[in-house]
Amino acid sequence: MLKGIGASDGYGIGRVMVVVEQKLEYTPKEIADVDAELERFHNAVEKFCEHTLEQADAIRKSAGEKEALIMEGHIAIVRDPFMNGEIENLIKAHQCAEAAVEQICKMFIDMFSATGDELTMQRATDVKDIRDGLISILLGIQEIKISDAPAGTVIVTKELTPSMTAGINKENIVGIITETGSQTSHSAILARALEIPAVLSVPGALSSLSSEEQVIVDGFKGEVITAPDAAVIEDYTAKREAFLREKRELENLRGKPTVSASGEEYELFCNIGTPKDATKAMAADGEGVGLFRTEFLFMDRNALPTEDEQFEAYKQASLIMKGKPVIIRTLDIGGDKDIPYLGLAKEENPFMGFRAIRYCLKNRDMFKSQIKAILRASAFGDIRIMFPLITAVEELRAGKELVEEAKADLRASDIKFDENIKVGVMTETAASGVIADLLADEADFFSIGTNDLTGYTMAADRGNGDVSYLYSPLQPSVLRMIRRIINCATEKGIPVGMCGEAAANPKMIPLLISFGLTEFSVSAPSVLKVRSAISKWTKAEADKIAEKVMSFKTESEVTAYLDTVV
Amino acid sequence: MVSKKVTIVNAQGFHMRPASAFATAMGKYSSDINLKVNGNDVNAKSLMNIIAACIKCGHEVEVVCNGADENEALAEAVSLIESGFGE
Repeated sequence: MLKGIGASDGYGIGRVMVVVEQKLEYTPKEIADVDAELERFHNAVEKFCEHTLEQADAIRKSAGEKEALIMEGHIAIVRDPFMNGEIENLIKAHQCAEAAVEQICKMFIDMFSATGDELTMQRATDVKDIRDGLISILLGIQEIKISDAPAGTVIVTKELTPSMTAGINKENIVGIITETGSQTSHSAILARALEIPAVLSVPGALSSLSSEEQVIVDGFKGEVITAPDAAVIEDYTAKREAFLREKRELENLRGKPTVSASGEEYELFCNIGTPKDATKAMAADGEGVGLFRTEFLFMDRNALPTEDEQFEAYKQASLIMKGKPVIIRTLDIGGDKDIPYLGLAKEENPFMGFRAIRYCLKNRDMFKSQIKAILRASAFGDIRIMFPLITAVEELRAGKELVEEAKADLRASDIKFDENIKVGVMTETAASGVIADLLADEADFFSIGTNDLTGYTMAADRGNGDVSYLYSPLQPSVLRMIRRIINCATEKGIPVGMCGEAAANPKMIPLLISFGLTEFSVSAPSVLKVRSAISKWTKAEADKIAEKVMSFKTESEVTAYLDTVV
Repeated sequence: MVSKKVTIVNAQGFHMRPASAFATAMGKYSSDINLKVNGNDVNAKSLMNIIAACIKCGHEVEVVCNGADENEALAEAVSLIESGFGE
């Protein structure tokens, strides 16, 4: 058995298909027919461009514009007249195309690497990709096509990339195993989006598993069972069926209110990234939007969106939600989310740098136009404003001041908006947790962003396999942070929600019920699961579990205990 | 031969996107076009050479054009750089 991280629920029983980068080996030889070799090179370039364009299109659909532009940049490089000229010169000197490509690419890789400039050095990686792509084409190496995988295939790869995802046929792929990644990495998000069981971060998966061997992927426990005998397969087949049955049972909760076993009612909202996602939230039976990320409006383009454009998007989401609450988070860029045209400087430590509310308060015109757009949309539904990354009361005040300024502007122009629009704080920094009592005095609501809150509290990067063991919302420190935020909100009588992934974690749910959370905001596919999980607990049972959990000093004790009761 | 000195104004300098747009624009001209940066001559029609030159915001470059359409080439090169490539 191989152990990893369970990142997408379900059981998959199937045969392994190992997807690896191929070795590019060739023997350099002197060529006699220069013209034929030049033609071979030019054909390879054409094929490369064609293939890259296809990939860029696939990535644009599955991952977004930024990743697609990087792919398209490869075409600009491969068509560079100077680079082509140099490669052609080597071929004219009777070198084979493979060797010519390798040598000239190496020249540029060395040149780029020697600059010591981070941005330029990153381009060396692009040149390496291009070199490998061109040489594979020249050698006639077939890329393994995931789209051709037969039914019952378990993909084993280093990392699930957006271009691989584009090729996955959900009918045929029954499991995913990767060597890197965590619960919240790109691979995990993609696997969950595809509803394919996945185990990530399995060390040495590529070398220990071989194609065609039968395995079982347990996406719950994060286990890969190798060489299963008939009894084990039978056992997992039964588990798989039970899981799928339960999935159908969840459907019965559709349209029902979200209540605990003792009758307390909760709000169950969805996290969305575009107005189109609001449709998914409605289809999933979400009772509102607890987090509307607005970055999409700013990405995939070359200039800031206008106020009107933003207004239309916010209004559209609100109309789709048919008057249900929509909490719009103001622009949260920086950190890992770059927007090229804003020209953000490269930072040593972007997660602690110039991002989110910090950037917005320094770029008031841009920020005000977003706030005005949200205010204008508030005339069409129950819209609320949420500021990300708050670390000090001053930031909340400055943001609220800008809201008031925007309101005055709109009044002066006779434009309608919700005069009593609620302005809340996304509590996602350790600082906001510690000063939650102070923030609760001046905010209309809190929403706990557990992804960043866990990262900032534990000072651990969730994507870094060496430290991701620390990244857990069940760490006593994070649980105390969450309890404190909820307590402070409850004392001041403001609603407090949670929009991080922990809100959908069944182990967290009794704790959140006990602490007094009032709203859960989860991804659309989790809505019914969370409704079901909440319905299983009475407040008294939840209190007993929370009391016990808060008495433990280590995350392992917390997890071990919760494993026995949840 | 015509030439003009200009200063790079966009924050990220000649990174991938501007370098690519610039090299493509220069590729339309028959003239030889070079950028003189820190004493080096960089082929302005080559994205790769521009990137390798690592030209940053605030750097001064001299655009040197030589050929039949040198005036038009210089005018477009200067205007692209001075506009910060629309960034």
